[in-house]
Amino acid sequence: MSDCAFKFNTPSSASDRVPKSPSKTGAGKKKSYATSTTKATRVVHTARRTLYTAGRPPWYDSHGQLKDAFVIGICGGSASGKTTVAKKIIEALDVPWVSLLSMDSFYKVLNEEQHEQAARNEYNFDHPDAFDVPLLAATLQRLKEGKSIDVPVYNFTTHSRDPHMKTIYGANVIVFEGIMSFTSKELLKLMDLKVFVDTDSDIRLARRLKRDITERGRDLEGVLKQYNKFVKPSFEHYIEPTMTNADIIVPRGGENDVAINLIVLHVHTQLLARGFKLRNKLANPESKHEPMPDTLFVLEKTPQVHGIHTFIRNQDTNRDEFIFYSKRLMRLLFEYAMSMLPFKAAAVETPQGYEYSGKRLTDIKIAGVSILRAGETMEQALREVCKDVSIGKILIQTNLDTGEPELHYLRLPKDIRDYRVFLMDATVATGAAAMMAIRVLLDHDVPEENITLCSLLMAESGVHSVAYAFPAVKIVTTAVDKEVNDDFHILPGIGNFGDRFFGTDFLEN
Amino acid sequence: MEPDVIPCTSALDNELFGSSLKILRVTDNVRELQTMLRDKSTSRSDFIFYADRLIRLVVEEGLNQLPYRECVITTPTGQTYDGLRYEKGNCGVSIMRSGEAMEQGLRDCCRSIRLGKILITSDEETHEARSVYAKVPQDVYRRKVLLMYPIMNTGNTVVKAVNVLQEHSVNEQNIILLNLFCTPQAVKQILTKFPGMTIVTTEVHPVTPNHFGQKYFGTD
Repeated sequence: MSDCAFKFNTPSSASDRVPKSPSKTGAGKKKSYATSTTKATRVVHTARRTLYTAGRPPWYDSHGQLKDAFVIGICGGSASGKTTVAKKIIEALDVPWVSLLSMDSFYKVLNEEQHEQAARNEYNFDHPDAFDVPLLAATLQRLKEGKSIDVPVYNFTTHSRDPHMKTIYGANVIVFEGIMSFTSKELLKLMDLKVFVDTDSDIRLARRLKRDITERGRDLEGVLKQYNKFVKPSFEHYIEPTMTNADIIVPRGGENDVAINLIVLHVHTQLLARGFKLRNKLANPESKHEPMPDTLFVLEKTPQVHGIHTFIRNQDTNRDEFIFYSKRLMRLLFEYAMSMLPFKAAAVETPQGYEYSGKRLTDIKIAGVSILRAGETMEQALREVCKDVSIGKILIQTNLDTGEPELHYLRLPKDIRDYRVFLMDATVATGAAAMMAIRVLLDHDVPEENITLCSLLMAESGVHSVAYAFPAVKIVTTAVDKEVNDDFHILPGIGNFGDRFFGTDFLEN
Repeated sequence: MEPDVIPCTSALDNELFGSSLKILRVTDNVRELQTMLRDKSTSRSDFIFYADRLIRLVVEEGLNQLPYRECVITTPTGQTYDGLRYEKGNCGVSIMRSGEAMEQGLRDCCRSIRLGKILITSDEETHEARSVYAKVPQDVYRRKVLLMYPIMNTGNTVVKAVNVLQEHSVNEQNIILLNLFCTPQAVKQILTKFPGMTIVTTEVHPVTPNHFGQKYFGTD
């Protein structure tokens, strides 16, 4: 693999950052990428902003705006090695956010008769009409816009779609592969780079025999029959001619490292171009003196709030007290956050026989979404102020090598778009995880103004990043500290909230 | 039918009673809690839920009245933080029965705080408040006392309870009354008789939801 592709991504200050978590659990959480040959610093944190040079959290820019993903289309005959090429490109790209979409998932569901035909190997799967192109185009379009999509799971035995869809999230780079991927103008329009994998037909047949018999449970005779009747003519008729649409033709498929490296180099250049633009915008010196945004609401610092902060910030506070006082603070936080929901005037009858004109919450549904792990600690406090609240969870972990947040798990209430959402995280330092979580909510069509970010402590840089990216999101917290250190901890801060709350920090003597 | 008098002019009351009367800032959220407690169609489980929430807010506000001193601590990041530390030597005293509804709220904020109880009944003939039972920490005179009583109509019960505390040598300056709803005349009576006392409440209104105790404890 050529190293040159990576040098572009390595800022001059790319000294390896050694994560120093005060919790000393850093080593276990580290992630590495199989093919990474360099440890480029892809995120630069200044006192006020988080700069992403490459591999930034995906599908949105520092303004929180959706960015069109870079779509690589890969076409080629059956068993030409499209998937291998796709995987090699993904590996060599070394960008954590790549989605692979296969055209195979979009075969049409067969009716009874067609199913019979398929069983006799008389159904033509190698025809443009065998694919649900409108669904495919809509899905690819949504994915390109950075939104999450549900991909059908096609069952090659029953020729139907499984009831459970597979969810794919937006990414910086999307690799789309399929035998007929170049036959539709609609699909071609969505591709930024078109790659045709040209592999000798004998090799393709040999691979196909192996795959269909071992992986898809078919018999030799049937596969050959299908090959001669459909696959071969179809390749000559539909697939080979589309080679003219390709930007790059890769002979010999996945073994062709030179071609793959060229593709990777090109994609890197494209991504870098976007990254540089971003960086220039963020380096705006005026932002240094920005006042706090209007969307920030800080709980009044009463003596009790101040006193609670003193307890939970103190390094000598034991876990029992830490949990007790942080819960008290969370309760106050949510009572405060609740007051920002829309209320309407309501006249009620009292047992004392006069009418009382009060206030009622308008008819809204409320959901809490916690950013694991620390955000989960706030769920109970929310339940205490909000009866029968629905709770969703998002697992975002910061990759300690890069400081980048990574999305690992997601479970949201159905129809989350109809809810007012309290997004919960105990502390918000750079805002990277919170921004990713907000983006996930927006991808699920939650209106931005219906999201309230609730935390116990934020750093100024996090407030600015979130407010700048999502100006309609309300930010509610109990204190804002000035700085974030090199390990992304807030100063003076509270330490690692999750570790202190759950007792995973260190063994007590 | 009496017209609704809300919002009660807290500014006016504060003019009369200075800083002795603390009315919780009435956000829409607090107003909803009050509305739920006032509404006669509120179910009992809702009533308890919303009452506990309002009590908690009053308790937090009451704790803000306690003495503290400044201190500097070190955070896990090695930085210093200018904090506050509360003085020891507080206690809670609930006026039975409805005051006991507030004990849990106080316990939720101060886990091991000492709690005293005073039972006041009104004489069936004279309607005069009468102290029947009192059990308070022995050194109550050295402590700040968070006196708990959620609904005040005339204020007679609280006056009687303060008398009991005074018999235990408690200085009225050290008494903070935690209350949810009270009438203007109750405030007036108490702060006239005990100008050193502090009252924390959420609403001053001529009509109080005096079904509170019965609904909370389910004895209606």
